[in-house]
Amino acid sequence: MITTETAQPKSSSDWPTLLGDNARTGGLGERQLHPPEKSIWQFRTGGAVRSAPVLGDDILYVASVNGTLHAIDVFTGIEKWKFDAAGQIHSTPSLFANLVLFGCDDGKVYAIDRHSGKKLWETASQAEVWSSAVVRNGVVYFGSADAKVYAVDAASGHARWSQELGGKIYSTIYAAEHQLYLGCGDGKVYSLDSASGKILWSTPTENGIDSSPALAGDLVLIGSEDFFFYAMNARTGEVRWRYETGMGVASSPAVSGDLAVIGSKDGFLYAFEIQAGRLRWKTAVGEVVTAPPVIGEGVVCIQAGGTFALDAGSGKIVWRAGLGGGAMQSVPVLASDAIYLASLSGEVYALK
Amino acid sequence: MDRRTFVKVGCIGSASLLVQGLDPMMRADAIPAVAPPVELHGLPNYKPSPLGMPGLFPGRVIEVRDPNAIVRNRVSQPIVRRLLDQSMKALTGESSPRDAWAKFIDPKDIVGIKINPSGAPACCSSPEIIREIIAAVRSVGVPARNILVYDRYSYEIDVGSYQALLPPEIRIVGIQDAFTSGGDGYEADVYCDANFFGEWETRSYMATIVAREVTKIINVPTMKDHSASGVTGALKNLAYGTFNNVARTHRPPYTFTNPLIGLMCTVEPLRSKAVLHIMDGMRQVWHGGPLTQVQEFIDQTGILMVATDPVAMDTVELEAIEKKRREHGAPSVWQHDPSSITPDTGLFFHDASKNLFFRQPGHIAAAGKLGLGVADLKQINHRLL
Repeated sequence: MITTETAQPKSSSDWPTLLGDNARTGGLGERQLHPPEKSIWQFRTGGAVRSAPVLGDDILYVASVNGTLHAIDVFTGIEKWKFDAAGQIHSTPSLFANLVLFGCDDGKVYAIDRHSGKKLWETASQAEVWSSAVVRNGVVYFGSADAKVYAVDAASGHARWSQELGGKIYSTIYAAEHQLYLGCGDGKVYSLDSASGKILWSTPTENGIDSSPALAGDLVLIGSEDFFFYAMNARTGEVRWRYETGMGVASSPAVSGDLAVIGSKDGFLYAFEIQAGRLRWKTAVGEVVTAPPVIGEGVVCIQAGGTFALDAGSGKIVWRAGLGGGAMQSVPVLASDAIYLASLSGEVYALK
Repeated sequence: MDRRTFVKVGCIGSASLLVQGLDPMMRADAIPAVAPPVELHGLPNYKPSPLGMPGLFPGRVIEVRDPNAIVRNRVSQPIVRRLLDQSMKALTGESSPRDAWAKFIDPKDIVGIKINPSGAPACCSSPEIIREIIAAVRSVGVPARNILVYDRYSYEIDVGSYQALLPPEIRIVGIQDAFTSGGDGYEADVYCDANFFGEWETRSYMATIVAREVTKIINVPTMKDHSASGVTGALKNLAYGTFNNVARTHRPPYTFTNPLIGLMCTVEPLRSKAVLHIMDGMRQVWHGGPLTQVQEFIDQTGILMVATDPVAMDTVELEAIEKKRREHGAPSVWQHDPSSITPDTGLFFHDASKNLFFRQPGHIAAAGKLGLGVADLKQINHRLL
């Protein structure tokens, strides 16, 4: 059975895709975005940040590569708590109920109490977990570099099933009502049955996949290292259309209405009309793009060295911001009255 | 603060480097004197291997090329497989690829594959070639868990998407990240010590992964010009990818890549463990290396070279880059005309007549004098298949 998905999760407690929703807003929904004028606070994590921060209940959760998850009070920039994992962290955290979830290079996914910072449960795979854990209907799904997809109970962390695929998994799963979608290092896009893990279909691309899918209506949208951006039939895996960029596509699409935006390592951001498969605009943002864009109200934001805001309709750069030596390949958090940024060198900034 | 901690602080970012009093982009006001003495400390009591550089076939370089190996910037896995098999058989004289690889790799080895991801995604060690090397090493009997792919900077490895593109069980290691995350990264007792520009930290330490963990290294450089060393090939990929704190050897417009690159390659156990060099010439960067993303200066050449002698390999590479620059009307990498020097990296990346440093391609011949291989083109057995 195929379920038509909209930009937002079905239930406010679900976190079905990378950064919570198709627009990659971190679950905050599309916000109005103004150019930042001043810094409110800065925070040093002490290690590089190569994942995206997420915001919930006025706490910013930032994972740094040195293995620490930081919970930062957004009003003061003061750390509320931190949790030290046993390995490096490249996984973007996700939020579900009272949990903050993240994968770790020690092969585990950790579930941490959002308020106390205490570990509630952990579950293990056999290799590093760089993808985000996603949650749908009380089940946590994640892919591991051990080439397996895992489903565990969100309340306890107890295993439900695992399914081996043909390559390493760095792509974050999209969890629809009954089906999962993800890319794989073997170059295939997979759909799995959420209840059993059974492979429903797989469609090959011509190189490995780092990108995480979005699901828009009946189409799965995803990039591949074969330079193409794909739209596939969510029920069958048939390629509806594809578009060739100038380099591999490790970025993940952000979707708003009929617009899908994705970056390529060729340094361009591309916007497509999803149903027609037509390029609406492409804009050079200067550097290699590997991060996913995030969509605000009428604006697309992307980090590619600096932070760029583009008009969603035309692709015109509205403003750009650099932060000294702190290059960024993360995703900004667009809150109602502030923007939060994390840099490769480990600084977190709150800008107003 | 001890010396190691001190270096570690310096690795965190450019701001920290400024705190140390050495901004790597600060320009030198006076021409420095000749290179200072360099003190080398290898791993104590390490017994050199006969496979060590220049290895089993000094002076021999096998080159294969196929214009279809790279089409519209995509590398063909099947063609790369054929080129690698062909070249390995020609290098060793063996009749099967497996026997050729068995000359260098034992099933009990822990094999490190030293990639060059700097310049990703425009020009880096092709994942397609790395996959074939992994398959070849496994064909000898080395389990996947005993193969690791490494470089210093994991961020550059990420940009190349090697994690997703290489087979499961292969470990991928960014040495610098492990170090700054509090793990082992560098050996306190294995280092090169020299003071080039008055820097506070004068040592460059060898990566632990090289000193202690791997037993063999397969070096996979790319074919690129380099703004400081003239070209970056087998020697530079090994030296500056194995030791830390190397940016201190550059202060525009001067650089001490000569003699440091060659000297670093003589330090044991790096010298003994680097048994095979496979140069990825699918793309050839003739200006803007090592980091350029400007396609105008990157030719898709479909070349693969194999050798055990890094000096001979880099000598052939240097000639190829020089030829390419002549064809495009760009000055030689040997040119030291002050008017060609610019501090403007934006200008450098888009103007092939400009450069950031007085380049030091002589580092290759200097490495030859250290016994690492053959630098005289007339004595190099360069076979084009």
